[in-house]
Formats: sequence, structure tokens, C-alpha cells
Amino acid sequence: MLLSVKKLEKRFGKRTVLKGVDFSVDQGEVVVIIGPSGSGKTTLLRNLNFLENADAGTMNFKDRQIDLAHPKKDDVHFVRRHSAMVFQNYNLFKNKTAQENIAEGLIYGQGMDKRQALTIASDELKSLGLAAQANHYPSQLSGGQQQRIGIARATVLKPDVILFDEPTSALDPELVGTVLDDMRRLAQAGQTMVVVTHQMSFAKNVASRIVFFDDGQIVESGSPDQVFNHPREERTRQFLGALAENY
Amino acid sequence: MFDLNFAKEAFPQIVLAVPLTLLIAFIATLIGLVLAIGVVIAREKQVPVLAQFLATLVSFIRGTPILVQLYVVYYGLPQLLTSLQAAGWHVDPNGLPAIVIAFSAYGLNAMANLSESIRSAYHAVDPGQYEAAISVGMKPATAMVQIVVPQLIANLIPNFTNIFLDLIKDTALVYNIGLVEVMGKANIISSEGFKYLETYTDALIIYIVVCWVFAFVLRQFERHYRYAQVSH
Repeated sequence: MLLSVKKLEKRFGKRTVLKGVDFSVDQGEVVVIIGPSGSGKTTLLRNLNFLENADAGTMNFKDRQIDLAHPKKDDVHFVRRHSAMVFQNYNLFKNKTAQENIAEGLIYGQGMDKRQALTIASDELKSLGLAAQANHYPSQLSGGQQQRIGIARATVLKPDVILFDEPTSALDPELVGTVLDDMRRLAQAGQTMVVVTHQMSFAKNVASRIVFFDDGQIVESGSPDQVFNHPREERTRQFLGALAENY
Repeated sequence: MFDLNFAKEAFPQIVLAVPLTLLIAFIATLIGLVLAIGVVIAREKQVPVLAQFLATLVSFIRGTPILVQLYVVYYGLPQLLTSLQAAGWHVDPNGLPAIVIAFSAYGLNAMANLSESIRSAYHAVDPGQYEAAISVGMKPATAMVQIVVPQLIANLIPNFTNIFLDLIKDTALVYNIGLVEVMGKANIISSEGFKYLETYTDALIIYIVVCWVFAFVLRQFERHYRYAQVSH
């Protein structure tokens, strides 16, 4: 087991957003979390990277035991150094070029030599077909280009796990495809991923496991075939039924 | 009638007072900036008691005219030093030069205005920028230095320019505590020759040229910063 959390609880004021979640990811797995908006999917993901502080629960990451409610600074840094996050709104550094965006984590997170990091970033941009945009600032890039660079910024760190928070939700429908292609390639290369998404075709085709999340807890979890074609829970059937009506 | 010759003769004498005007503006900005950074950190970190005290102080300074503040510091600072001396401190309340009073009053004023501008420039930086920085493994301090602060500075420059130019103009009031800067010099020369419009016109021209120069320089700085973020 690469990463697991047990009895994760998170409250915002009086509202309990995560109600004792048990969740785990194996090495090489692509776990796709689906569920209605506001069910706590994003909050779960943000807790895995300590962008939110949990109220209770424990984490085991690469054999390190961490108390989620009172994590040590060292543990937080350890988890962040070995994981990476791709955001819904890309969050590329506005004051850095595309190339610098990819290199920053290598330089300031992993202590790599600046020239070497910039070379890696430049190679990465070439492989994405974005070499011409190396010196562009985020404001000069399309949403699709920004998100592909956001993914490259995460992958160059060679993290044990990449957390994707609705990576295509803010994109034009036309641009979604290129981003999903990048993610598919990553999955095929064996990258461990946790993906929160509403892209059901991606979930069906790429996920090794689907987690259906609702009202702050995991309702059911299983292979794409099992969850999409033979859901065990009534709530999952309702959700998938509503999706089928809309598409 | 407007005595052009008088204005011409007075002009170089008034120009000689420009360095004092600039000195007060620069030092006050420097003091203000250092204090403002402290105020912003304390307020953003919500340090108990200190944050509330500073918020009150800032709103007090922003809510009162600088001339009143200048007088309060002019009469208050020596009294404060007298009390400190009585308490055994080695300070001399009588040897306080007017320029120190000017630095203190204008520095406090700059602190109040700059701290509010820095706060708003800080809040204008998308929190996602910091989150992205720490999520690629940067330590919080590195994330601030590399990502948040450069964007904060870009947001701050337009307001900073306003505050700095206001400060240059507001130094005209230090004549009231006996310092002879541009306005003071103009006053003295006017009263010697009983020609007021001429010397005040000189002062007007000097102020506008000085302010134009600094507005231009700071605009270049702003353009450089914006340039880096908007276009290649």
C-alpha cells in the first residue's frame, strides 16, 4: 500500500464535510473518484496533500504513520515532496514562464541545479509539442496548454502519486481531449494517480478502480465494470442514472 | 503684475531646497515600508493584541490630517523622551532636531498607508498560487519569496507610486515645524520681497517636475513588472 487514510474527518465550521473516510491507493493504481458536486471529493484530495488540515484521522504514506489532525512539519513536507497536485484552475505561477513553471518544483522543492532543471523542463515541453511556448507566461497560454503544463509540472517531480482535482472542469470542451490524452499516457506508463473528475468516459476507460463518493463518505468502490455496470448501492444507481439521462 | 525677473531670481534658491524635500520623502518611505511590512505580518498572522492595536493605530493615522500628526509628534515626542529620561533612559529630549520629528511623523504616516496597500496587494494574489508552490514541494517561506511576493510587488506598485507622490507633496507642511524645504524657502523669499505669486509659482513648477520625474521612473518599474507577467 502506497497511501492510505483511516477515519479521516474534516469540518468547516459546523458542517462535517468528510465523515470518517477510509481510503487507500496502491502503487500503480489509477483511482478515479466520482460523485455529486459538494460531496467532499475535492476536500478529500486536498487533505491528502495537507492543503487542508483534517480534524481527525491517520495517514500511512510510504510506511510513515502520520496523525492527520496534528501532522509534524517534517511529515507534511515529506508527503508534499513525494506527491504532486494538478488543480482545477491550473494555478500555474503567473510570474514564471512555462519553462520556469515546470522547473520551479525541481529547483526549490528538490534542490536540483537550476540549469539542469530548466533543461528537463525544456525537454518536457518539447515532448508535449509546446516547445514554442517555453518562454510564454501563463496569461499568454490557452487553458488547455496551461493545464498540460500544470500536469508536466507535476510529472517532472517523479512523484509517487499525482492528485488531480477536476483537471478538465475549467476547460473548453474542445481542449479537454488533449489534457485527457496526457493523463491516459501517464496512466499507461504506470504512474499512480488519484483523479477527481466528472469525465465518465475517462473513468471507465482509464481507471483501475472507481470510488463513488457522496455526502462526505465513500458509498462504494470497485472496478469500473462493477461500479458502472453492476452498482451495489442504490445511491450509486441514482447518480449514474441521472448522468445517463443528461448525456 | 507678475514679476518675471523676481520669479527667475528666486527659482534657483528654491531649487536648492529640493534635496531636503526628497530626503524627507525617501527616509519616511523607507521607515514606512519597514514598519508596514511588520504591521502586515502581524495583522495577517493575527497576532493577539498586537494585531488589534496596529489596526487601530493604522485607522487612527489614516483618519487624521498629516499636519495634525506632525504637530502631535513635534510636541509629543520630546515629552515622551522626557518621561523616558525620568525613568532612567539615556535620552536627551532637548536635542531633538526638527528633521527627526519630520522623519518620525511622515514615516508613521507612510507606514499606515503602505500597510493597507500591501495588505490589499497581498490579498489580490490568488491563494492557489501559494498552494501550487507548496504542492510542488516548496517550503512555505520559499513559496512566499519565489511566488507570492513578486506578484504582490506587481500589484503594489501603482498604489506605492500614489503614496510616494503624496508624501513628496505633503512635505510642504514641514515648514510648520521650522524646516526649510521647497515650500518653506518659497515662503521666506516671498515675505522678503512681498511677492507671493512669483515664488509660489516657482514652487509649483518644482513640485510638478519632481513628481513627474518620479511618476515616470515608477511607471517604468511598473511596466517592467507587468511586462514580465502579461507579455513576453
